[in-house]
Amino acid sequence: FFSPTPLLSLTMARRYDASTTTFSPEGRLHQVEYAIEAINNAGTCVGILASDGIVMASEKRVTSGLLAPSKTSEKTYKLCDHAACTVAGLTADANILIDQARLRAGRYTYQYQEAIPVEQLVEHVCNYKQAYTQYGGLRPFGVAFLFAGYDSHHGFQLYQSDPSGNYSGWKATVIGANNQAGKSLLKTEYGAKPKSDDDDDAPEEMETEEDPAEEEIRVPDVTEALRLAVKVLSKTMDGTVPSPEKMELFTMTLAEDGEGCAHHILTEEESKKVVDDVEAEAASAGDA
Amino acid sequence: MSILEYNGAAIIAMAGKDCVAIAADTRLGVQAQTVACDFRKVFKMNDRLFVGLGGLATDVQTVDQLLKFRQNLYELREERQMSPKVFSNVLSNLLYEKRFGPYFIEPVVAGLDENNKPFLSGMDLIGAPVYTDDFVVTGTATGNMYGMCETLYKPDMEPEELFETLSQALLASVDRDALSGWGAVVHVITKDGVTSRELKGRQD
Repeated sequence: FFSPTPLLSLTMARRYDASTTTFSPEGRLHQVEYAIEAINNAGTCVGILASDGIVMASEKRVTSGLLAPSKTSEKTYKLCDHAACTVAGLTADANILIDQARLRAGRYTYQYQEAIPVEQLVEHVCNYKQAYTQYGGLRPFGVAFLFAGYDSHHGFQLYQSDPSGNYSGWKATVIGANNQAGKSLLKTEYGAKPKSDDDDDAPEEMETEEDPAEEEIRVPDVTEALRLAVKVLSKTMDGTVPSPEKMELFTMTLAEDGEGCAHHILTEEESKKVVDDVEAEAASAGDA
Repeated sequence: MSILEYNGAAIIAMAGKDCVAIAADTRLGVQAQTVACDFRKVFKMNDRLFVGLGGLATDVQTVDQLLKFRQNLYELREERQMSPKVFSNVLSNLLYEKRFGPYFIEPVVAGLDENNKPFLSGMDLIGAPVYTDDFVVTGTATGNMYGMCETLYKPDMEPEELFETLSQALLASVDRDALSGWGAVVHVITKDGVTSRELKGRQD
């Protein structure tokens, strides 16, 4: 809904952009748009819905080698047993919202003795963000989230939210720096059949190949989604060669014992394997 | 009639050598009338931490839910498990918050700390804690349970002997108490895991 703000091209914008709670004559909330811009400078996050889980990959921006990490991650956070999120934007702002989400999930479970449906959790966080665009003269949160969750109503779900308090569900999406490049790559590659597969079972697909709009999207599994996520991240990270230390790969699947969900941040070794697979695929595609 | 004696309970937690055990009866009554014989009063908080809640049944269930809520938030924020000592303090704090309108429960906490050493604590309904290294009891048959424990207990029992001792202490105590009994559950916690068993005693 919000187009990117041209840098103060209208002098009128100046009068209406200081206060979050005031519409501009064009009907825009400039502060909210500026907040969204802030996120376009933040470390990229990719989210991909798979058939057996969800993958979220984030660009880790290490500002100094002297930094001593206190938490497991500054990008991926567990919200409750069946939901997690990745962050793009101001970490300090994100901490407030993550705590809000955790409290909401806990209170819901306390009240209903049930897991909170993922969309309700997302909507709660978003309503909290929205309040900062309408009341109080406070600035909006400079954070966008990718929420990954599982519930018994809709299975695995992926949501994206931004400072305006708007949210939407996705099969695959990107937030943060170079997200447009990431999204265009996802559009072509998500759901595409892998080139090495034999078309044993797809005479119908052969027919509909001419009409991409009607072709059913084939949902990847987590392993494939991980590779796709790494491909997207390498594209958004200024085209540099992907290295495991710069990216954080997270998967959410159903726990093996059937009790709840498994949240897993890949070890450096596991990440390296995914990166190697992607590089091998790219190399062989280059040869072909 | 005391509100703490409305539903009935008998809970004991005992320490052994690098292990703890906690046992509770399973009766739920409404004064003299027995309503259920499968009512849970001991709750697993994690693989090394159990809490036994004796007292008014509605508060038993509510406090269990509240504790899970607080523990869950702690684990999400601190990215580590709550130790038994900390948990005991959380419970004590939770109870004192309601100092002038308390939850009618008197809990016992049993767990293994970071070094796999046993941890036991008990407290009253407004959170006054007591820490022991042998046993803690709570419920409507405390007089009986204290007597049985003092007599049967010895330090550094292995898990199998601890189970036997605890079970005998509990079964003998509830027989002379009208409000507790009707079956029991015993959990033995060691560093390798938890073994849970159900006891069938006198069904009266």
